[in-house]
Amino acid sequence: MSKHNNQEESQHSVFLKSLFCGAAGGLIWGIVSSIAYFFSFSEVSHASFILRSFFSGSWTEGILGEVISLLILIILGIIPALIYYFLFKKLHGIMPGVMFGIGIWVLILIIMNPMFSYVPSITEMKSDTIVTTLCQFILYGVFVGYTISYEHHDRRVVPERTQNEA
Amino acid sequence: MKPDKERKLSKSLKDNRKFLKELLGIDVSFDAEFRTLNILGTEIDIYFVNGLNDKDHINIVMKELLELNDVESKPKNIHELIENRLVNNQVEKVDVTYDAVTEILSGLIVVIVDGYAEAFAVDTRSYPGRPPSEPDTEKVVRGSRDGYTENIIVNTGLTRRRVRDDNLRFEMLRIGARSRTDVAIAYIDDVADPGLVDEIRSSLKKLDVDGLSMAEKSLEEFVVNQKGNPFPLVRFTERPDVASAHLFEGHVLIMVDTSPSVIITPTTFFHHVQHAEEFRQSPVVGTFVRWVRFFAIFFSIFLLPLWLLFVMNPELLPPNLAYIGPNEEGNIPLLVQVLLADVGVEFLRIAAIHTPTAVSTAMGLIAAILIGEIAIQVGLFTPEIILYVAISAMGAYATPSYELSVANKIARLLLVVITAWLGVIGLVVGFTLYILLLTRTLSLNTPYFWPVIPFNAKALYHILFRVPVPLHKVRPSIVHPQDEKRR
Repeated sequence: MSKHNNQEESQHSVFLKSLFCGAAGGLIWGIVSSIAYFFSFSEVSHASFILRSFFSGSWTEGILGEVISLLILIILGIIPALIYYFLFKKLHGIMPGVMFGIGIWVLILIIMNPMFSYVPSITEMKSDTIVTTLCQFILYGVFVGYTISYEHHDRRVVPERTQNEA
Repeated sequence: MKPDKERKLSKSLKDNRKFLKELLGIDVSFDAEFRTLNILGTEIDIYFVNGLNDKDHINIVMKELLELNDVESKPKNIHELIENRLVNNQVEKVDVTYDAVTEILSGLIVVIVDGYAEAFAVDTRSYPGRPPSEPDTEKVVRGSRDGYTENIIVNTGLTRRRVRDDNLRFEMLRIGARSRTDVAIAYIDDVADPGLVDEIRSSLKKLDVDGLSMAEKSLEEFVVNQKGNPFPLVRFTERPDVASAHLFEGHVLIMVDTSPSVIITPTTFFHHVQHAEEFRQSPVVGTFVRWVRFFAIFFSIFLLPLWLLFVMNPELLPPNLAYIGPNEEGNIPLLVQVLLADVGVEFLRIAAIHTPTAVSTAMGLIAAILIGEIAIQVGLFTPEIILYVAISAMGAYATPSYELSVANKIARLLLVVITAWLGVIGLVVGFTLYILLLTRTLSLNTPYFWPVIPFNAKALYHILFRVPVPLHKVRPSIVHPQDEKRR
């Protein structure tokens, strides 16, 4: 009896783990994005999208703005993880993650760009900013994608050969 | 001549003698010998190789056999009588000539009785070697000072002293067509992943080489698929306490005779940034040491390219860090200076490995005064370069795994070059590629950058914080333990 049950249970735990890893990815790469912003590698940080485009005021500028935005980013980070879980969890390796990251980057920085008043349009952006943000999204995509597919396949390996494939 | 591996021993002592003489080159080599005794009217031959066995022990065995002539009358079965009188705790019967030869070459004595196609291999081995001593590369302030030696039997013994579990297994294999090196796979049977043990066993059995002269290093390259990857895909240790800690976690060890280094599999990147010393201190101190070490390792890779970037693009620096960067450019381009200084430190490291102690003081003086002082005075280097190169070098020395520190050094040099070439883009792309390279690396089907990517919160917590031992409740999932709970 338990075999079916176990599988369902483990799928459930993979789902929760995916959500958690999305949030953790938001936190980790959000911090990286803040550091890159601090050192002017990029003209924008996550706060430029989440806070500065919608609110004005000096509190959005400094460390306080970054921290508040980081907290929101942790929640927002779950959304791509959900999408990856439902659409791509069966894929192997890191390439799907890279593609996924590039996909989100195109979506947010090119397609949704007009929504963010504080973010310059892609044609006016410095090449440094483009590359830095792209790399951040790729790393986030790999982080989420590789984790979810690893967890997903881990649950399905035969017990006799518990070595997971990547 | 290729020996017939299947040839059985013959019943005739003369046949066997002729065959073994030829195979071992007894008339040519001075150290392969045999001695013929006459026991109660039957001839027996005792074969041995000088230098691998205990001479006194062999003499006792012979004396005991010769005493048979005085106390026994001619028995029905001399073979059984002789077996009974071999004074040793390990006597094995062999009937294949090739096996007998391997035993002789391993230092056992082989006793062949005329008229019987079955020989006795008596374990009188006594290899030249050193007693266990503290390994040079893994010193601790407190704690046990014994380390593995070049003798695999001593090594398995040292491990058993710490793991008295009846499930501890040492599977012995002989590898190398000519070296016939003893290799042991060590694991705890009801904990370690049987899939991993199978995989290691089958890849070891498939191995077809002359010999393993570099012992565990040669073996490692056959087991893991290294290719162009500079990162160390397995962890080595010379400490029995580290090895047994990994056995308890569910890791599989590979021990190779003639080397004190034991291979720990599977390994991730973060196994290379831990050190036994952290576990010998209180958890808070251990965590502190670990964090400082993480900073050191991070600096050893990224500090130099980051500094170079800020010097080339001072506008990137926030105002309160604006003092960074040399006041004068110096006479040669900064990139060349950085590379020269970094390679110079590498000269020093490489030289220090094989410099005899008597000369090393002179070497240290020359390095410190000439490279440090004079290079600045003649205008070759700006002082800041020396500072940052020195910090990176110290960061590399603070990396517990020697192999990892050298791999990181290559990464650093590449990052410096690409940063000098492409500026911000170079550093960012370089950083991303570094992470992606680590992520896509597999060591024995284990993701190398676990638990960061793929993410595992609990395991990451155990890496970031040195958790008190009573709270180590479960084994790390990366080894796929059969029994998850620790008791």
